[in-house]
Amino acid sequence: MALRTLEIMGPQHGYGLARRIEQTSGDRLQLNYGTLYPALLKLEQEGYIRSRWGVSENNRRAKFYELTKAGQRQVKKAAAEWEETTTILARFLAPAEEA
Amino acid sequence: MRKLRALCIRLCGLGMKRVDEDFTAELECHIDLHTDEGIRAGLTPEEARRQALIALGGAEQTRQAYRERRTLPRLETLWQDIRFGLRILAKNPGYTAVAVITLALGIGANTAVFTVAQAALLRSWPAREPERMARLIATTPQGEEVNFSYPDYLDLAAQSRSLEGILAYSRRGMILLVGGESKTVLDDIVSLNYFSVLGIDAQLGRFFSAQSQPASEPGVVISDSLWHRVFNADPSLVGKQIWLTNRAFTVLAIAPPGFRGLQRGVPTDLWLPTESTQHTDRKIREFEVLGRLRQDVTAAETQAELDALGRRLALTYPAIDKARNIGLISERERLREAMAPTLILMTAVGLVLLICCANVAGLVLARSDARRKEIAVRLALGAQRMRLLCQLLTESLLLASLGAALGLLLAVGLLRLQPAVMPPAQVELGLDLHLDVSVLVFTAAVAFLSVLVFGLAPAIQASRTSQVSTLKGEGTAAAKGVRRWTLRNALVLGEIALSVVLLTASGLVVRSLFFSQSLPLGFDRHRQLIYFDMVPGIAAYSSERSATFFAQVEEKAAAMPGVSHAALARRVLLSDSGGGMQQRISIPGVELPQGQLSVPVKFDTVDGNYFRAVGTRLIEGREFNSADAPSVGRVVIVSRAMAESFWPGQEVLGRQILADGAACQIVGVAEDAKVDGIHETPEPYMYFPFAQQPSGEGTLIIDAEGNSKALTTRILSEIQRTDRNVPVSVRTVHYLMQQAFWADQLAAGFVGALGALGIFLGAIGLYGVVAFTVNRRRREIGIRMALGAERRDVLRLVLGQGLTLAAIGAGIGLAASFATMRLLSTMLYGVRPTDPLTFAGSSALVILVALAASWIPARRAASIDPMQSLRTE
Repeated sequence: MALRTLEIMGPQHGYGLARRIEQTSGDRLQLNYGTLYPALLKLEQEGYIRSRWGVSENNRRAKFYELTKAGQRQVKKAAAEWEETTTILARFLAPAEEA
Repeated sequence: MRKLRALCIRLCGLGMKRVDEDFTAELECHIDLHTDEGIRAGLTPEEARRQALIALGGAEQTRQAYRERRTLPRLETLWQDIRFGLRILAKNPGYTAVAVITLALGIGANTAVFTVAQAALLRSWPAREPERMARLIATTPQGEEVNFSYPDYLDLAAQSRSLEGILAYSRRGMILLVGGESKTVLDDIVSLNYFSVLGIDAQLGRFFSAQSQPASEPGVVISDSLWHRVFNADPSLVGKQIWLTNRAFTVLAIAPPGFRGLQRGVPTDLWLPTESTQHTDRKIREFEVLGRLRQDVTAAETQAELDALGRRLALTYPAIDKARNIGLISERERLREAMAPTLILMTAVGLVLLICCANVAGLVLARSDARRKEIAVRLALGAQRMRLLCQLLTESLLLASLGAALGLLLAVGLLRLQPAVMPPAQVELGLDLHLDVSVLVFTAAVAFLSVLVFGLAPAIQASRTSQVSTLKGEGTAAAKGVRRWTLRNALVLGEIALSVVLLTASGLVVRSLFFSQSLPLGFDRHRQLIYFDMVPGIAAYSSERSATFFAQVEEKAAAMPGVSHAALARRVLLSDSGGGMQQRISIPGVELPQGQLSVPVKFDTVDGNYFRAVGTRLIEGREFNSADAPSVGRVVIVSRAMAESFWPGQEVLGRQILADGAACQIVGVAEDAKVDGIHETPEPYMYFPFAQQPSGEGTLIIDAEGNSKALTTRILSEIQRTDRNVPVSVRTVHYLMQQAFWADQLAAGFVGALGALGIFLGAIGLYGVVAFTVNRRRREIGIRMALGAERRDVLRLVLGQGLTLAAIGAGIGLAASFATMRLLSTMLYGVRPTDPLTFAGSSALVILVALAASWIPARRAASIDPMQSLRTE
């Protein structure tokens, strides 16, 4: 999700990312913001994203995260996998509804 | 791949502090942004900040989660534990040293035995696809034989279809001449296909093969070891000539390093191709035969074919090959059979390691018992039991690692002893022993296993400590403690008893060695005797020419300064070949046992100076002299045992014996001498004069005064100046004595080392038990002292416990020794297996060591300050 959000929004800082995820889910996902940072660190260690210090829209020094090439590939791969999973699940669930 | 990258980054993050500030700044920014938004939504700044923190889930918690992700927390804890463990160990150097040394002994012994076993058995056999190699054997009514005659081998090789190739080799010895110096080397005469059937490639040059029939000049392949030892690894050696037993050979190739022939323990230096013309006698069986099995043929089919071939040989040559069945043993099977003794040895050292571990477990238990309070405090402060267990195990792991490192050093030292353990010989013997990766892996595995054995139980026991009662100062788990205590007592009793048995055995063996060394040998071993073995016969000289050569050499040597006596003998007493010759004699007028017409008697041929040179006393009669020439009447000198067995109580001088059909007159009687070994009983022996029985081999014996090294060099060059073609090798009386006493010394060394190990382990075990009880009884001792007991009484109390254990152990040990020492009786000379002095000595030594082992904890107990012990407990 974090990767997808970064793909759509471009470089973003941690707080913005957290808010954005909340908004995208229509406030249905209330995540503990604190858990986001270890997750971001993990992605950075795995080389999917990179970070640099910059200045935010309201003039605060913030750390911005952006996708790397590998990250973009990973988003496509994950999306494709997810689609396949949901398709399969949908097929399983469909006849059940009919019956 | 990505995971690996992340792992590397996390590893690199270890020990970096700066990044923390970076994240604090980021977190600060996050909270500020959130607060700003809250303020925009109309909250007070305080409330906005509070909401931001709630949504974040706490700044410190987040920071901790981030830290854990950034590095590897488990590794960090381990590193912490290691540092803590090292500090603890460094704080108790005595305990650490004893535990590490104990473990090192156990692990070192295991590593050394494993290395030997691996070199002897496991290291892959020197051939391509060794599992397809098989040895041909012959089964006869007399038993199994591995030797075949060369014509039989040729028939088998030509007719067998199920074996891809068959090779033959025969072990010899030759004299290699390099730069005027001669060396005995071991060579194998091998079939031309030897290297191709084994599937080995030369390191340098080209092996001989069935296709390349050797040219007029015979070729030789030399081993990597010989190439380095003698030729300084000179790469231009291939194609050059070397001299072997008076014949020139061209060096064709150098064998690859590590290939040392097909016989373990006796490495081959040279390989020479057979010359089929020389091995035509079907009766002489001197070749060992190996075959390579075809891949598509089963063992049963091969065996059926060999049965048929064997029957055909038996039918064609009934006089020689009748009732000889030919069979097949794969090299793997042979190895498996040779495995049993190694397994026994491995089990024995495994047991030693187990005892070592039990001892260290005792030490660790005593230590962790003393640290009960520390552990209880940690538990009370919230340490997890698992975490505590890990920490205690890390300490044990540190002990084991130190022990393993020291053990490896010890093993290297033990392996260096190989030459000292091998029988003295003029050729290089022994296995190629060195530590390789598999040995290191084995040592690490042994060390790890020993941690489980000695560390786990005490660690679990310690981490189960009940905090409340410990902190209140009560003794813990009293019931459990008592049971463990008796088990450990039994263990220590066993160790002490075992060490008494081992010490008694080593005492007996050492006394036996001293006795053997004082035995009269029949010659003076304290003279500086030097032996120059010469074989003019190899140069195909006539007996006259050999005799002239010997006379010249003896005359020149005798005239040299520093030579007291020079003499000639055909064979040397107590050397490999001392009793190598015997002659059947008959004695006119004497009835031989069981009506025999003649009896075999061992003999030597010596010249007139011999008895004076080596210091053999003549009891009566005269030495040989120049009058005993070849042409005149033959004479003989007999040993005292010979005189007493054939002519008991009678005058011997002047009597006659018939040797080789010729009458010989007895002119002297010599004292008995040891011929083949120091422990033999005197038997009849004869000396004939060198001049009347000339031979193509002989030894110049020099009785030197002073510096014998320089003299040896001078005499060697003198011999070579007399005749370059005669090979010479040198031995000293010191070397002969080493050889003669080798078995006795080895037994004494081995049993002695075992005894030392046993008593060391027993002492450690006893120390562990006594120290443990002293810790348990601190309070009791404090009360006793407060009530007026003196240091002396406390000392007596603790020493008493140690000595009681030692005395019971020694008693059991003495009984066990009494029962088992008669097993040693075949090894003992000059001392009875129940020698009271040795028994008393070994038990006294054990008691003394026990006293020393309990002295340390006793001193500690006596120096307990009653006030302190009562206050703290």
